[in-house]
Amino acid sequence: MDLFPLYNSLRVAAISTVITFFTGIAAAYYIARTPRIVKGVLDCVLTLPMVLPPTVVGFFLLKMIGPLGPVGSRVLDLFGAKLVMVWYSAIFATTIVTFPLMYRTARGAFEAFDKTLLYSGQTLGLSNTFLFWRVMMPNCRQGILAGTVLAFARALGEYGATTMVTGYIPGRTATISTSVYQFWREGNDALAYKWVAVNLIISAAVLIAVNLLENRYRQPLRAAKDVLSDEEEGVRP
Amino acid sequence: MKRSAGVLRSLVLFFILGSLVFCPVSEGATELSVFAAASLTESMTRVAEEYGKLVPEVTIVCNFDSSGTLKTQIEQGAECDLFISAGQKQMNELDISAGPKVNKAGLDFVKQGTRFNIVSNKVVLIVPKGRNTKGISDFKDVATDKVSLVALGNSDVPVGQYSEEVYKNLGLWDQLKEMNRITYGSNVKEVLSQVAAAAVDCGVVYGTDAASAEGRVEVVAHAPEGSHRPIVYPAAVMRATRKPVAAAAFASFLRSPECAAIFESYGFSKPGK
Repeated sequence: MDLFPLYNSLRVAAISTVITFFTGIAAAYYIARTPRIVKGVLDCVLTLPMVLPPTVVGFFLLKMIGPLGPVGSRVLDLFGAKLVMVWYSAIFATTIVTFPLMYRTARGAFEAFDKTLLYSGQTLGLSNTFLFWRVMMPNCRQGILAGTVLAFARALGEYGATTMVTGYIPGRTATISTSVYQFWREGNDALAYKWVAVNLIISAAVLIAVNLLENRYRQPLRAAKDVLSDEEEGVRP
Repeated sequence: MKRSAGVLRSLVLFFILGSLVFCPVSEGATELSVFAAASLTESMTRVAEEYGKLVPEVTIVCNFDSSGTLKTQIEQGAECDLFISAGQKQMNELDISAGPKVNKAGLDFVKQGTRFNIVSNKVVLIVPKGRNTKGISDFKDVATDKVSLVALGNSDVPVGQYSEEVYKNLGLWDQLKEMNRITYGSNVKEVLSQVAAAAVDCGVVYGTDAASAEGRVEVVAHAPEGSHRPIVYPAAVMRATRKPVAAAAFASFLRSPECAAIFESYGFSKPGK
């Protein structure tokens, strides 16, 4: 059995998850601080790809990064590189579709975070960067982790937008989802079943791993006042 | 006050939903469901329009997709009165009289005595219009450096099957597969769109599809004589049809010279046999 679709799907999903991890968290962090109207508009625009059918996303993407599109033609002229019909085209598709998942979960986690912890840190003279990575993120760990897993799972299962921008080239751009469709179309049900099983196993493994991680690190969200009262009583946090 | 507002709201909702459910259905209109190969999209739409002028009580509703997909849909029980395939293979697989060699599953969906050949077509090599910088001019060019990516129909799509035949006869099929140079589309219109968007260097579609997208693609080569079976589109009424009279009437319209003229205007030729 040619294992290229497995390798391709995993690398596309992994790379796009890394990208959405940083961009989603950055967007959540900065947008949380904007005025209400700006926040509302940005929220709508950034969540749109999650709500739109993937084929609509794929259509727009093809019109933008295809060789006849504004972005695609410029890249072709400047670098001679194609943005569609190559394996990394899928990364564009999956990143756009999974970004809202990471963004919204991170936003939710950050908004549930008790800001007084941040303020206490600021009174102690700690930098914003330190406060973000060492105070805010660890406390929002569960939300961030959930968002990352959702993004990875969604990226692994992306079909509509992917098939429109990468086509189906066995050995070059085939992913698990596009392969299953092709094998079904060709009447090769046996192979389709095998890939469905592979996908199920990977997804189950990822979810179980995440569950275990969550349980190990699970701590109730502690409000600043609890931390302070612990300190008063001499209890170590 | 609040209570009555709530009651009023539910009443309004009830009336809206009720009127949708009990919407008056037009009396006496018959709908014929025609499943036709994707390459017939433009021509069959026109045929349906013309038939609507001749016989206003009958509305033709067309479902266009690759013949392989349509055959699967019919097999799975989709409501279809008439099926027009782009290849004999898909029709054979539904026709019990075609014999067990081609109809392996022994399916019996075709109404006996209603099958006929409607049009024939050609297979051509197309490139995105105005972007043939490498000078692709022959089917054999796909194996050279001129082409990095070619779009073909997959093995369930008749045009894909014909393309495979052409390349097998040219002795290039295995080589092409090894070079990972083919991207497979699920119907001929997808192949056409990919070439039109210049996402691939070239593609193989029917002459009629190339004609329908004249501003976006150009034909650079016709399939060499004898490199594939004659491309003949069979049509047949389905056994499970609930409107046999209307279906038979439409089928005879499809065989009329009037209809043949419509198909010819879109680039199809007479079936010959």
